[in-house]
Amino acid sequence: MLDSFDMNPMEWRFCVREAGVMKLLADRLTLLRALRGARPALVVALALVLVAGACVPGFMAIALGWTVSRLQDSESSNVLAASVLPVIVLGLVVLAGHVADAFAKPIEFAVRAQIDGGHRRDILRLTTGSSSVAPLEDAEVQGLIRRAGAEPDYGVTTPADGALVQLRWFAGLIGVGVACAVLANYRWWLVPVLLIPAVIGLALRTRQYFAAVKALESAMREELHADVWRNAAASAGSGKDVRVFGFADWMIARMQRHIEDGNMPFWSHIGRISGQSWRQFLLVLAGLLPAYTLVSRDAAIDVTTVSVQTSVLVAAWTVFLAIGTGEMVYQMVGAVGVLEAYASLKARLTADVAEPAKVTTERADERPPLVRFEDVRFGYPGVSRVVLDGLNLEIKPGELLALVGLNGAGKSTLIKLLSGLYEPTGGRITADGVPIDAVGWDAWRSRLSVVFQDFNRYELSAADNVVLGYAHRPADLSAADVAAERAGFGPVLQRLPQGWQTVLSRNRRGGVDLSGGQWQQLVLTRALYAVQSGARLLVLDEPTAHLDVRTEFEVFSRLAEQRGDTSVVLISHRLSTVRQADRIVLLENGAITEMGDHGELMALNGTYARLFRIQGERFQNDTESTS
Amino acid sequence: MRRTIKLWTEMIGLSWRRVPGLTVLAILSLVVRVAGVAGGAFALRAAVDEATRGVADAAVLAAIGAAIAYALLIVVQEITDSLTLTIADRVGRLDVHPRIHRDLAGLEGLEHLERTEFLDRITLVRKAGGRLAGGAWNGLKTIAGILNLVIVLLLLGSISPWLLLLLPFAAVPIWCDSRGNAAVQRADLATAEQYRLQQHLFELGTGTAPGKELRVSGAGRALVELQHEAWRTAMGVRLRATVRSGAWSLVGWTVFVAAFVGGILLSVRQTANGHGTAGDLVLLVTVAVTLRASIQSTVESTTTAAGARQYIAPYLWLRDYADQARSERAGQAVPPAVLSEGIVLDHVTYTYPGTHAKAVDDVSVTLPAGSVVAIVGEYGSGKTTLVKLLEKFYRPDSGQILVDSVPLSDVDTEQWRTRSTAAFQDFGRFHTTVRENVGLGDLAALADEDRVRRALAEADAADLVEQLPDGLDTLLGRQLGGLDLSEGQWQRTALARASMRTDPLLLILDEPTASLDAPSEQAIFERYMARARQLAERTKAITVIVSHRFSTVTGADLILVLDRGRLTELGTHAELLRMGGTYAELYRIQATAYQVG
Repeated sequence: MLDSFDMNPMEWRFCVREAGVMKLLADRLTLLRALRGARPALVVALALVLVAGACVPGFMAIALGWTVSRLQDSESSNVLAASVLPVIVLGLVVLAGHVADAFAKPIEFAVRAQIDGGHRRDILRLTTGSSSVAPLEDAEVQGLIRRAGAEPDYGVTTPADGALVQLRWFAGLIGVGVACAVLANYRWWLVPVLLIPAVIGLALRTRQYFAAVKALESAMREELHADVWRNAAASAGSGKDVRVFGFADWMIARMQRHIEDGNMPFWSHIGRISGQSWRQFLLVLAGLLPAYTLVSRDAAIDVTTVSVQTSVLVAAWTVFLAIGTGEMVYQMVGAVGVLEAYASLKARLTADVAEPAKVTTERADERPPLVRFEDVRFGYPGVSRVVLDGLNLEIKPGELLALVGLNGAGKSTLIKLLSGLYEPTGGRITADGVPIDAVGWDAWRSRLSVVFQDFNRYELSAADNVVLGYAHRPADLSAADVAAERAGFGPVLQRLPQGWQTVLSRNRRGGVDLSGGQWQQLVLTRALYAVQSGARLLVLDEPTAHLDVRTEFEVFSRLAEQRGDTSVVLISHRLSTVRQADRIVLLENGAITEMGDHGELMALNGTYARLFRIQGERFQNDTESTS
Repeated sequence: MRRTIKLWTEMIGLSWRRVPGLTVLAILSLVVRVAGVAGGAFALRAAVDEATRGVADAAVLAAIGAAIAYALLIVVQEITDSLTLTIADRVGRLDVHPRIHRDLAGLEGLEHLERTEFLDRITLVRKAGGRLAGGAWNGLKTIAGILNLVIVLLLLGSISPWLLLLLPFAAVPIWCDSRGNAAVQRADLATAEQYRLQQHLFELGTGTAPGKELRVSGAGRALVELQHEAWRTAMGVRLRATVRSGAWSLVGWTVFVAAFVGGILLSVRQTANGHGTAGDLVLLVTVAVTLRASIQSTVESTTTAAGARQYIAPYLWLRDYADQARSERAGQAVPPAVLSEGIVLDHVTYTYPGTHAKAVDDVSVTLPAGSVVAIVGEYGSGKTTLVKLLEKFYRPDSGQILVDSVPLSDVDTEQWRTRSTAAFQDFGRFHTTVRENVGLGDLAALADEDRVRRALAEADAADLVEQLPDGLDTLLGRQLGGLDLSEGQWQRTALARASMRTDPLLLILDEPTASLDAPSEQAIFERYMARARQLAERTKAITVIVSHRFSTVTGADLILVLDRGRLTELGTHAELLRMGGTYAELYRIQATAYQVG
């Protein structure tokens, strides 16, 4: 950029224009490269079919001219005989157009499905492939995912749309070539007379649609804001707030404001393009008028034949049809945007992968690991507050460790570090003496199972919902049975219409919704399945917040019984459940401040004892007074 | 059908009101498309014929006409679709969309958002906006397409009445193309479920929160495979339909082209007999070529219009449902300024439609004015249903609720709700500013910063706001570039929202502190008890607390124990303990767990 100050204005403008041209060429290449996502044979077949189709109008002009010439030259007695051949050829050319079209559609569909399907899979591979979850939490990355995702259902242009239109456009150029040959056969200079306005028109539209596609970005952003209220209007949960507080009208007004503000730039672009279509009209007219009038006059005064006139009349029109429509331009521009978003996404996410050298751990991992947090520090990127500040903690093999602390003390963060979703900014975490990042994330995570507060609800079968809880080994349904039994999920399972195969989503045919409590039981099944399959450290983040007293009690008794030698880390606000733990640690101000079993911590009379007493207070008063 | 046409007329009317200029332009371009084909073909024929005859001026004039006609056609072909799409998009988003959501959010009850058979329709309705308007415009396009065909027919007839015979042959590709298109559409519908599954898995795989579990459980790869499989299943079915549709189209057009060649030979014979001209031939060929484009676009707009009809039924249903619900709004009575007696439930029974078990079964109880009432019971015992009945989200199937002896069904719903406030278990988490999340609790005071801050303090959330980067104006929701709150923090915003109104008669707290740590729970609980007492003094308000944490309900004036919808125990804490029933048992489970020792 600094160098450019030394250039004179002319050079500078030249550079800009050249950059523009280079960008245009690069975009064409980008789109064609997207074709690699489909099988080559299909792409070649499609290219041939499209070229054949594009040549049809030109050849039709020729065949028509030929027919007319036969018609004119022959004596009236044998006109019919003389015309049979050219008419049949004409018919065949028309038929060839139909054949090309009939073949192009399915092939195009197949190519489209392959390209877009592959594209979406590539995105998923990227977003599920990074070891850390940190980049996904970046709003910018989420924006890139949305743009690159190009959900075909939302009417967004997809990479395949762009690539196919590009291919069509190239095929169309060959059609333009044929048409130009017909014209040149009559007067060579008619070719530039027609091509120049056609190309100018294309350039104008390209610019207009470029701006229109850019304007779509604000629409996407504002529609996300509108989604907040759109979903609130249709949700039974938020619906109660909407009704009690009577803000339905306010909410709809707000939603519509986002929609209108967001989409207006795009709409006005499209409106302007439509309004300016007179320019397009004049350009086409500027090309057609000289060609049409000249050839008709020449034919009338016998400078040329009516046959030539006929073919020129048809061919001239073809040039404008084949050079490309605004819609094509729109799709190409849109698809380039999508592919660019994908490229940035790839750069962002692969930069974060940084898979460390894998130390293959032998299958000694049948034992639960000894985990050690050594002076671990952590703060979220872009946030100044330190969440963990010199934390030291040991999770001993086979123990039931409870982690308590106030809201926001960093308990969930600690779990994220333990599972490698974030990396500590200082200190280290080791398993049996080896830093967990050196163990290799796959290997390390195969020894873990974590039940998050916001666990995943897959719109898949009950069986899939359980076995996806531990996908490091092939699915094992008998292990799932055992886990269901142990988690007390059996009775729920029995009531499901198709047992394990019942789809757990009302969005799908024959699917059912589980209640909140049933989901929590399923998730415990998921966790126990992981334990069955090889996880040796089970982490539970507030697993029973919404269970009632009796169920909660049962769940914990079961868990304590069923865990075998697996280590369990339990996070809970309910100190009545926590007290059963072998060891309780209190997280406060980013470090462990108290440690011991329930009795010891009560004797210590610190924060834990205070928390416990607050919760138990009413019970204490009461049991004393009533018993 | 009549309602469909009425709806489409309404949509075109909306288009006219929303974007008069574009609407005129779109209709104009449809007209040009109809007239341009005929005009252009005529002009071409004239140009060729005049040239044959050697009349230069007339030939040039005709050529000018043809150039204008084709230039118009090229432009119109390009803008018609983008025009109608934009109009449909604008009308859909700006007129139909708000109407749908006003109906959804404005209905007094909740049934339409909870019942399975309604939810399916609502899923469709919510996508209907642009599609309904688009359906109307495609209807217009279909009409234009048919007109176009009629004019082409007349043109052919003008060359020779024999050429009218081409028309039945033109019907063959129309029939075949419609068949093919219908097959494609059926395949789209049949695979919609797999397609949605693919979308769902894609969203899971790209989302922030699901990403944590996917990584730990190693399910990422499996998810990628499942998503791709769903995609391929859907696309495989659709591809087969597309292939079939292509085959149909090929058959249809082959038949037509054969007939067309016959037609040309016929007109050649006429030329030989001195009846026809070279111009006729040109006309015939150009018409035949444009015929394909116009038939294809007509068939396409017809199927698109027909496809939009699947959205019409649910849309009209919602309208009717909302109209009916509005007309049934009987309540006129104004809630009292101050409660004097209280709320009486008199043999109240309610069963969720489509289920068999009674969610609330013959409950009779008096909630005295100015009291704090706790409802306890196990999972699914009807606690939340009971408070939802108090907020008029449902009407009791039998029995009634009386507010100071006035049946609640006679009280104006809006006014009743204005005099109540609530924090529900599945409260709304609105991804907007903190200020609005809280202030929405009393729209009139949304701009009143003091009130908002006071409400936050009530919910023990004043510190929380201090920590946020932009204080009250901090945007929530990471997807929008805002901040994510923890579960407990969200719960505080809901509690703060419930603290906005100053003179409620009814305050409902449904599992208010499930995700909070002990000191916050304690603090909030004490504040709410104090507030309940204050309100009781001011308006004799009743506070209803739903909870399964017994520590939070011991101080209530009255405790209701529900079991499978029935009111099984009733009394104060001490009374219930003495009774030695379910309450006493459940209480002891927790009390034992908290025994120091």
